[in-house]
Amino acid sequence: MRQLIALTINGEPRELAVEPHSTLLDALRYDAGLTGTKKGCDVGECGSCTVLMDGKPTNACLVLAPEAHGCTLVTIEGIQPDPDTVHPVQDQFMRCGAAQCGFCTPGFVVMAKALLEENPQPTREEIRFAIAGNICRCTGYTKIIEAIEQTAEALRHAPEATR
Amino acid sequence: MTHAVIGHSVKRTDLLDKVTGNAKYVADMPLAGLLHAKMKRSNIAHARIRRIDASAALALPGVKAVLTHENVPRVLHAGSPHPRSASVTCDQYILDDKVRYWGEGVAVVAAISEEIAARAVELIEVEYEPLPAVFTVDDAAAPGAPLIHDREPGGNLVLPPVRIERGDVDKGFATADFILEGVYEGGRPTPAYMEPNVLTCKWDGNGNLTVWISTQTAFMVRGIMAEVLGLPLHKVRVLVDHMGGGFGAKQDLFQSEFLCALLARETRRPVRMEYTREETFLGGRTRHPARVWLRQGFRNDGTITAREAKVVFNSGAYGSHGPGVTNVGTAAMVSLYRCENVRLEGRCVYTNSPIAGAFRGYGVVQTYYALDIQMDEAAAHLGLDPAELKLRNAVREGDIAPSNHPLIGHGLEACIRKGIEATGWAQRRAETRQQQGVIRRGWGVGCEMHGSSAYPGIKEQGNAIIKMNEDGTVVLLTGAAGLGTGAHTALAQIVAEELCIPFDCVSVVHGDTDVVPWDIGAFASHTTYMVGRAAQMAAGEIKTQLLARAAAQMETTPEQLDIANGVIAVRDSPGPTLTVREAVMPRKGLPAAQFVGTATYHPTKSYSFAAHFVEVEVDTETGFITVAQVVPVHDIGKVIHPVAAAGQIEGGIQQGIGHTLYEDYQIDMQTGRSLNANFVDYKMPLAMDMPPIHTILLEAAPDPGGPFGAKGVGEDPIVAIGPAIANAVYDAIGVRFRHYPIRPEQVLQALAARAGEARP
Amino acid sequence: MRAFEYLEPATLAEASALLHRCGGRASVLAGGTDLLVQIKESHRQPAQVINIKKIPGMDVLTFDAVEGLRIGALVTTREVETSDIARRHYASLARAVTDFASIQVRNRATVVGNVCRASPSADTLAPLIADRAQVHLYGLSGSRSMPVESFVTGAGKTALAADELVSRLTVPAPRPHTGKAYLKHGRRVQMELATVGVAVSITVERGQCLDVGIVLAAVGPTPIRAVHAEAMLRGRPVSAGLVLQAAHAAMEDARPISDVRASADYRREMVGVLTRRAIELALQETETH
Repeated sequence: MRQLIALTINGEPRELAVEPHSTLLDALRYDAGLTGTKKGCDVGECGSCTVLMDGKPTNACLVLAPEAHGCTLVTIEGIQPDPDTVHPVQDQFMRCGAAQCGFCTPGFVVMAKALLEENPQPTREEIRFAIAGNICRCTGYTKIIEAIEQTAEALRHAPEATR
Repeated sequence: MTHAVIGHSVKRTDLLDKVTGNAKYVADMPLAGLLHAKMKRSNIAHARIRRIDASAALALPGVKAVLTHENVPRVLHAGSPHPRSASVTCDQYILDDKVRYWGEGVAVVAAISEEIAARAVELIEVEYEPLPAVFTVDDAAAPGAPLIHDREPGGNLVLPPVRIERGDVDKGFATADFILEGVYEGGRPTPAYMEPNVLTCKWDGNGNLTVWISTQTAFMVRGIMAEVLGLPLHKVRVLVDHMGGGFGAKQDLFQSEFLCALLARETRRPVRMEYTREETFLGGRTRHPARVWLRQGFRNDGTITAREAKVVFNSGAYGSHGPGVTNVGTAAMVSLYRCENVRLEGRCVYTNSPIAGAFRGYGVVQTYYALDIQMDEAAAHLGLDPAELKLRNAVREGDIAPSNHPLIGHGLEACIRKGIEATGWAQRRAETRQQQGVIRRGWGVGCEMHGSSAYPGIKEQGNAIIKMNEDGTVVLLTGAAGLGTGAHTALAQIVAEELCIPFDCVSVVHGDTDVVPWDIGAFASHTTYMVGRAAQMAAGEIKTQLLARAAAQMETTPEQLDIANGVIAVRDSPGPTLTVREAVMPRKGLPAAQFVGTATYHPTKSYSFAAHFVEVEVDTETGFITVAQVVPVHDIGKVIHPVAAAGQIEGGIQQGIGHTLYEDYQIDMQTGRSLNANFVDYKMPLAMDMPPIHTILLEAAPDPGGPFGAKGVGEDPIVAIGPAIANAVYDAIGVRFRHYPIRPEQVLQALAARAGEARP
Repeated sequence: MRAFEYLEPATLAEASALLHRCGGRASVLAGGTDLLVQIKESHRQPAQVINIKKIPGMDVLTFDAVEGLRIGALVTTREVETSDIARRHYASLARAVTDFASIQVRNRATVVGNVCRASPSADTLAPLIADRAQVHLYGLSGSRSMPVESFVTGAGKTALAADELVSRLTVPAPRPHTGKAYLKHGRRVQMELATVGVAVSITVERGQCLDVGIVLAAVGPTPIRAVHAEAMLRGRPVSAGLVLQAAHAAMEDARPISDVRASADYRREMVGVLTRRAIELALQETETH
């Protein structure tokens, strides 16, 4: 039987009726209508379902939906500061060609945003370490790493651009 | 010559939706009344189905339909029915009363939730009558082996052996100064695209079927579904918006397409089937494991007098792309390194293993692994530098390519020369001569060539329709699939360049078989080359019509006019100009122009080339091989979008490093059971495993058959990287590996054997 | 996933009572990164899932120079990974949790959860055992504690009674001149399940090894204390030759199996390589402690 959970998603208070044995990933995709977060493996091995749960990057496929009651979630849909402006991470991903098929991209963008908030000037090693749990099969990671480096560079000059 | 639009890395039109999460993939699309389908898969590799009972499943609340071989049409069809393909294997039923590999689908359930469908699947009872199974090509091809398919040519062969002969091989061997012979083996990598296979089917009240699907070949899906379901083509509409990767392997039908349509028809509701990650392994397509026996005669200057090879591909349980891969992979061996006397044989054998299909590189990954490594062996034998020897033997302009056409340009030579210079090759190799310590470094080079388009195996055509709107903007209609490579952006660039209008005046419509012109699908590295050329031609038609109309308005002749950046002017003359918009728009008394350009391009073949220079590190205590850096040098003719081209190269390198050092989809050799159908044990290199890649793009050998001289790039990187790594390992530790993947244990065993020690 | 009843006890007593009531058919949910995978892959089908994250006081990570480290049941691997205290005084445990899965997983996975799962390839067990950690259990009949070494009884098995949960781990304060290291053998740099793991804790004064713990992971159903290797070093002056001998001795203590990840022979050989390297690393660490 479904239970009601109340949480904040991308700054908005939401109430969702969820099955206790469903995952947060399925609740987001089916019950909240937020399909930007993807299901690549459903067992926490690919990072396609990365969301920020109380600020921490988390695989939504490994969280039971009822556990999310009372949490603050940020999904890919909540990364851009407003509908007409993209976040610097998103801008650099486009400029650098860091997305090809795009399926893994939401997970990477969310992870990159979390990394840069915690560590605004990461080294290349720190970037690779942060995205170690996100799988991309199209790009070979080169341009993803470059995009994150470029974002750090851009933020150094305009730090207010990130929220 | 610089161009206005092509050659620049313009902002891709598809990326905004991808980075914001707005791009809709098939599993993202909500549909009222959607049912979820799950497949029951066999837990035995070879068996007859004696009894299958779905009654308990049907009785489960929430289950709406169950299909087994007993209630689906029995129509023999081809798993990859490329129309006009040279050979196509008709060996599949939607559901058969026999299973031929562990994990084959035997039934499907449609239910109101995935969870209920999964539970219902468990309730279906199947009684199997085991049949003897064969898992190796040797066992399957042996006389008296159990037949997996009872069809021509028999003996578990997917097709009659492919035989290619040129010149006089026996004379060539007789005149050789020395002969090298070896057996080279390739394992079983899989594409492992991030978006699991998925489709949704929906019928309307008039018997029209709509299919939303993640596929590279929308028209092929339409064609075969119509055929098997007994429908005319205009009643089947296939839609492909965004798809999450394919790498060739989403060019088949997987049983799920027909089943989904049948479930939707029976339940009168839309039905979606989404593979789990495990199912992408079990029910997906792998690369063909292969064994290449290669024997070549050499002169003492390292040139080749004769080449003989026998290739055997393991098809797995069904034929899929077996004929294509066998033909292409075998034929590729006539070329790359020059040899006039060639005798080749290629076979493809059924086994009760996971199905092999199309995967980036298409047989050439396997055969060029052998060909390039043996050239490296010849260099070692002669004490010559391998890059210099490969340069000496590299194909050149005028040589007859595997497609039987003469090659254009000196692309491969240019790539090798450039790499030698860019890496400081001689110095690098001198350094690896003197080293001590546990970690050994090595440098290697691997070369390849690959054709754009599947000609001559498939007599392809590229189609394009362009409409110019009454404000001078343009819509390109293309059947080319959006794999994520940036192909649509490249096509738009080509159109904008040809029409001399700004890039953002072109939009691209794709992915709806009711609207766009027929397209064979996105594969064989042909979209830029073939569809791009067609788009260029169609744009040319528009330009002709546009200039005629403008000329009338400007009171001159079309030959006097030039367009630049959307502005039409009389050549070498100051004076009034006309924008494209002004030329076409309606005016008092004059209707708007209706310009439509169409083109069909029948390509032959163009070849792209690459030489990969690779540095590896070998830990001689653990046997770990790590790639330290890659310098890939590619000739792809005119580069349309440099960033997208580099992206293809870097991605192909990741997959090739995976093939060579990490990835192998394994089965239990007694039962055929999958052992690593997951990302923990099927190990793709991740961000921390990837080396820096310093891509070099050359425009050394543009092909006039391609748009502005452009050629393909998608498959080249995955072919060159493998032998480059193996050759670098030889440079590092003096051990020659002739297979992939190269496992750490094997490195240690080889080092120990060489040192003559007994292992503890 | 198969349906289950979802419960959120507010206290340890309530959790224990629930476990007892469910008669062995319930699973405890902390980080969930193991449990959800097991349920999805049908290795476990609990009738009830008991989420213990609402119980106060269990998310505490503290250090005291006398009492040592206290890791509450809800402390995540990421918290230990990023703890200066852990990195300085419990370097082998810190390394083990850093080389574990991904950041996304580590933000949820708990150290105690890794211990209770008792997988043969578990990363935290070897360092904890090498450091003589204790596990503290809470049940209806009261609390008890035991060494982690005794707590793990078989592959995926622990000494937990049906009504018990682990409330915390404690790890003794390190002795001076003690160096610790953990080396994990995995084909890729991250996201690997160990094919071999070696944890070393070594105390050296004036060139003499006063005490040493060498524990092997992934080469037996449970972590294996390499007693022969330890005996070779304990009380002896440390030398490169002795380290090599100890590494060879550890190979004999290992009981590896062959599976899709690696053969037994290779694992055994890697025990030798990693034990030697881990001892060398730990010895370097003694110089800074």
